[in-house]
Amino acid sequence: MTAFQEWFSDFSNEFYMCFIKEDRYKLLVSGVGVTVKVSLLAVFIGILIGMLIALCNLSKRKPIRFIGRLYTDVIRGTPSVTQLMIIYFVVFATVGLDKWIIAAIAFGINSGAYVSEIIRAGILSVDHGQTEAGRSLGLNGFQTMTRIVIPQAVKNIFPALCNEFIVLIKETAIVGYVGLMDIQKAGDFIKSATFITFIPLIGTAIIYYVLIKILTLLLHRIEIALRKSDMR
Amino acid sequence: MIKVKNLHKKFGGLSVLNGIDEHISQGEVVVVIGPSGSGKSTFLRCLNLLEDVTEGEIYVDDELINSPKVNINEVRQKMGMVFQQFNLFPHLTIMENITLAPVLLKKMTKDQAVKKGMDLLRRVNLEEKAQAYPAQLSGGQKQRVAIARALAMNPEIMLFDEPTSALDPEMVGEVLDVMKDLARSGMTMVIVTHEMGFAREVASRVLFVDQGVIMESGTPEEVFCRPQNERTKLFLSKVL
Repeated sequence: MTAFQEWFSDFSNEFYMCFIKEDRYKLLVSGVGVTVKVSLLAVFIGILIGMLIALCNLSKRKPIRFIGRLYTDVIRGTPSVTQLMIIYFVVFATVGLDKWIIAAIAFGINSGAYVSEIIRAGILSVDHGQTEAGRSLGLNGFQTMTRIVIPQAVKNIFPALCNEFIVLIKETAIVGYVGLMDIQKAGDFIKSATFITFIPLIGTAIIYYVLIKILTLLLHRIEIALRKSDMR
Repeated sequence: MIKVKNLHKKFGGLSVLNGIDEHISQGEVVVVIGPSGSGKSTFLRCLNLLEDVTEGEIYVDDELINSPKVNINEVRQKMGMVFQQFNLFPHLTIMENITLAPVLLKKMTKDQAVKKGMDLLRRVNLEEKAQAYPAQLSGGQKQRVAIARALAMNPEIMLFDEPTSALDPEMVGEVLDVMKDLARSGMTMVIVTHEMGFAREVASRVLFVDQGVIMESGTPEEVFCRPQNERTKLFLSKVL
């Protein structure tokens, strides 16, 4: 047998052990499901919190600005693993919510701090003349914000928001700490069960990569659609 | 229609308006001229409270508008404003720019607003641009749309803040023509401009503003041909 054949036979054997035997691929498939649903809900919560905190940061009232600053400061100043564990074992310790929902809330709270900065910068990037034009027509501050400023800000912040979304997906790889079986944890489980390291870990990396690649392509399409009004 | 009493405006320590008293009647076309930094734009922006007033009183239709009790949004619906930088909404089509406020503020149904929008676009000669976006228009076209957008709210008064200053010279004429047309229709207008020829032609009254006060006020004939104030004479000698 040549060296290559030998290597190939080892590889296929290990591949079988990792993915086929005892239907282990199913762990990874359901892991993808966990990662995706935690990420999606977290992004949603993150954007809601981000908008709220951004509005706090842009408020004319000092105490409200202080709340916004404090939030961003605390979240950015502590590791997300610590936050996740506090939310899971302390805050929601006695609440009977699904694990993945609690995890999504924790990641949403974390992401909100970063999203708020993105949104704040986006709102400030819209020319003040736009606000003046809206107000001069008789629109109130809220109408001007929602109909004129935010739609333009969204276009400006969309790339940064996509980036935050991608960071968030990878960040969720720590949900194993609270006992959720996501992609990372599934790969890890297979590694422990088979004593094989290379294939499960590289497999995990490839799955994350493909997931994020698909998402990037999707988001890029949305971005092009958003830029419609810039075309001449 | 608009009464201004002892209007003062300070930006921090800088005093921009130092006591303006003025009465603008219905149907008047008041053109405000003066050197840069004289406070003429600030005066105009105070009229619809885009700048808050430091001291003094502004009445629109006998209602004191710089009082906390007044809903300023309702007052602004009576006063259209056109800006130097056009400030069209770039994410909306021309028609959406025009119909946004009347529909959102429940002045008209969508259909009525679109119909009115087409009438206005015809009036400013841009009907074929209804579905275009602002980025596809020239400066002069943008400013004509901005005028149509302000008119869509059926305002009683139109304020113009240097509407032609950001335009290429060959586009100034088309915007001034629209404004002349508007003046002839009897609209009450307050216009800040550097276009002296235009001021002479359409103004029913010219105000010369310098150092935050109205130095001279009169018909174009009086102000341009027989100015009484030394500063007016000096200014006119430089610009005419």
